[in-house]
Amino acid sequence: MKKTGIVFSFNTHKTSKIAKRISEAFEDTAKVEMVNVEEIRPEQFLGYENLICGTATWFDGELPNHWDEFVPDLEDMDLKGKNIAIFGLGDQKGYPENFLDGMGILAELFEALGARLVGFTSTEGYAYESSGAERGGQFCGLGIDYETQGSKNKERVNAWVEKLKLEFR
Amino acid sequence: MKKNRKYHIKTTGKKTLEKWFRLMTMGRILDDRAPNYLKQAIGWSYHAPFAGHDGIQLAIGQIFDREKDHLFPYYRDMLTAISAGLTAEEIIYNGISKDLDVAGGGRHMSNHFAKPEWNVHNVSSCTGNHTLHAVGVARAIKKYKTPGIAISSQGESSVSEGYVYEAINGASNEKLPVLFVFQDNGYGISVPKKDQTARRKVADNFTGFRNLKIMHCNGKDVFDSMNTMAEAREHIEEHEEPVIVQANCVRIHSHSNSDAHDLYRDDFELNYVKEYDPLAKFRRLLLRYERFTEEELDAIEEKMKEMVRKAHKAGMAAPDPSPESIHDFVIPEPYIPDKYTDGTHNYDAESKKLIQGLNETLKAEFRHNPDIYIWGQDVAHKEKGGIFNVTKGMQQEFGKERVFNAPIAEDFIMGTANGMSRFNDKIRIVVEGAEFADYFWPAMEAFVETTHDYWRSRGQFSPNITIRLASGGYIGGGLYHSQNIEGSITTFPGVRVVYPSFADDAAGLLRTCIRSRGLNFFMEPKALYNSPKAATPIPDDFEVPFGKARIRREGEDLTIITYGNTTHMCLEAALKISGEDGSGVEVIDLRSLIPLDKETILASVKKTGKVLVVHEDKVFSGFGAELAAQITDKAFEYLDGPVKRVGSTFTPVGFNRILEGAILPDTDKILKAARDLLEY
Repeated sequence: MKKTGIVFSFNTHKTSKIAKRISEAFEDTAKVEMVNVEEIRPEQFLGYENLICGTATWFDGELPNHWDEFVPDLEDMDLKGKNIAIFGLGDQKGYPENFLDGMGILAELFEALGARLVGFTSTEGYAYESSGAERGGQFCGLGIDYETQGSKNKERVNAWVEKLKLEFR
Repeated sequence: MKKNRKYHIKTTGKKTLEKWFRLMTMGRILDDRAPNYLKQAIGWSYHAPFAGHDGIQLAIGQIFDREKDHLFPYYRDMLTAISAGLTAEEIIYNGISKDLDVAGGGRHMSNHFAKPEWNVHNVSSCTGNHTLHAVGVARAIKKYKTPGIAISSQGESSVSEGYVYEAINGASNEKLPVLFVFQDNGYGISVPKKDQTARRKVADNFTGFRNLKIMHCNGKDVFDSMNTMAEAREHIEEHEEPVIVQANCVRIHSHSNSDAHDLYRDDFELNYVKEYDPLAKFRRLLLRYERFTEEELDAIEEKMKEMVRKAHKAGMAAPDPSPESIHDFVIPEPYIPDKYTDGTHNYDAESKKLIQGLNETLKAEFRHNPDIYIWGQDVAHKEKGGIFNVTKGMQQEFGKERVFNAPIAEDFIMGTANGMSRFNDKIRIVVEGAEFADYFWPAMEAFVETTHDYWRSRGQFSPNITIRLASGGYIGGGLYHSQNIEGSITTFPGVRVVYPSFADDAAGLLRTCIRSRGLNFFMEPKALYNSPKAATPIPDDFEVPFGKARIRREGEDLTIITYGNTTHMCLEAALKISGEDGSGVEVIDLRSLIPLDKETILASVKKTGKVLVVHEDKVFSGFGAELAAQITDKAFEYLDGPVKRVGSTFTPVGFNRILEGAILPDTDKILKAARDLLEY
């Protein structure tokens, strides 16, 4: 598998835990590097062929600051040839109108820059009103809900990583 | 993509970025320092911190153009005001309520920033009611075809108020240039937004409205806020329809200095709201994208600190308002008739009914002044001209732009009258405040607010409005169709209240109301609209000055003070007493309750020594209570008996004619009371 990085904010609690779990699930296949989005430089981001980006959704459907502040750099990138998988954290019960919107915002941005999105998952098993991460009946990444379905995290991460192993190049 | 938008961290000019950082920094220093003034007992006892709303407030102020727009900030809009151009001194003068406060010399609550001179309006603490004012002024912008928009800013919780719905409905229906901004920080004091409405984004409650665009932005982000507000403005100007912008914010501190947010927010939340600080984010962006160096930003911050220090010194040295000034600007000077100086005439012609007097005066004034408007429920639909046809024929003659129906929303009728009169001082507005006077209660919020405006702004804004209302009973109308409300209305300083009994006085007072600056409450005794008793000759140019009672019958033995429907009953009783008992009863028709003709009243009391006060409203707490108290206070030594009162019983007015008759005063009740007093 080509060079792979997991990009997320090291100052997060839940996102960091999922990033660690993803990294562990890859252990027998490839070494993935952890990268702090709060300090990332454009050339560093572009140095990976495969990227796993983790984001929560803030408030009523916003990208967290740590990603939002990197967006102006991202906008200048050509991401053709990059394989990007996104995992998003959301609360489908507390914020059912904007479940995983942060993941949707990143997906839209990466796609517009030419990236190939991988790691789509089924929306089955989730209950929400609307989600910016939904694409044709699927999520454009992995949805994690610590608040109401935390017990499913391990199973969902493992299944997703197995899928990524096939879809990454 | 963000990159295609107007403002971007990589492309926006350095001077613009510096200006924004300067304004935001100065605002934050003032916001952080404000609580110190209360701690030191200097003032600023109400401070609602804006920290966390920085992006959207900067953007509101930046898109506001003082040459053509009207801005209605709310009590948390300190940075909005600064971004619109208010100086640190002006913020502090308002905060510590100094005489130099440009909003109104310390008359209004602190943290209510305004500069009426620039159309940054002085708004109410009754939060969100300025949406109606924004709609009203936007109506004028559209009617006069001038450039500009009205910008209304409020928190998301006040959108729960019914008048906000009325305002947005009106803006949508009339396609008015209004930009409604909802600054959503998730709380109304301690009440989370889930307790306000079912949707998390309250703006989306309005998705079914036509002619209305709804936009959302991150109010914590300078660029998203600036772009969204600029795009909203462009949309209004291009499509000539209103826009709602809902800006997601955080409230970093408590609601205000009387709130303790640690009672309802846990440590996690208290920490994360600080992490989302919009100013810190903007600063990080300026550094990350190498638009400024750390040293450059430090220098700006130091400069702003120094500016605020200087402003603080100016504030501490500024004079306080004087206690002697409290009676200034309660209400503007009225129009003074120069021909009919005491409001009487000797015109001899065919009598006209009271309703005809009103209709002809309205038409004459509309011909006289092209800047007069009238609206209300039912006032203009083909041949219909008001529930009683007072406005009959007006729309045909003056057109739909000046004479038009309003939705069944009394607060909207009143609130938009307030707003439209803010456009300029030439405009005169007449509203039928409600179908019947006792339907006016839903408009009370906007009415009360309007009574404050001239005083609160220290004369900078005069709401030039005449509220017409068909009042009183004797028609078998029952509740909401037969009651009097002047007992309540006359408790408010800031409004003139008139209540004629005859056609000529109705015409003359209406003309004076319409020509005057300020707020006028014009009560029409609807039982007399077509009554031959109230019909009189009316000179075409008749005017009645405020505060001039009319002695309708002279007498030496008893004074009856009255107004409205009961004037005619009092005259009948006086005639009967004169004929049957030989006593002389003087009947004073007040015509004007506020201002009150104390001189005429006292002169009569001194002459007769006995006073009967008669009105249709309830005796208990009716306007007569004030008259009786004033007479007792000023003329006690001249009285030969108690000041007696006749009016309605302390009950609602019944629909059944038997009940109505038992409740309302009539000639027999007046006759009995008068005779009792004469015999005292």
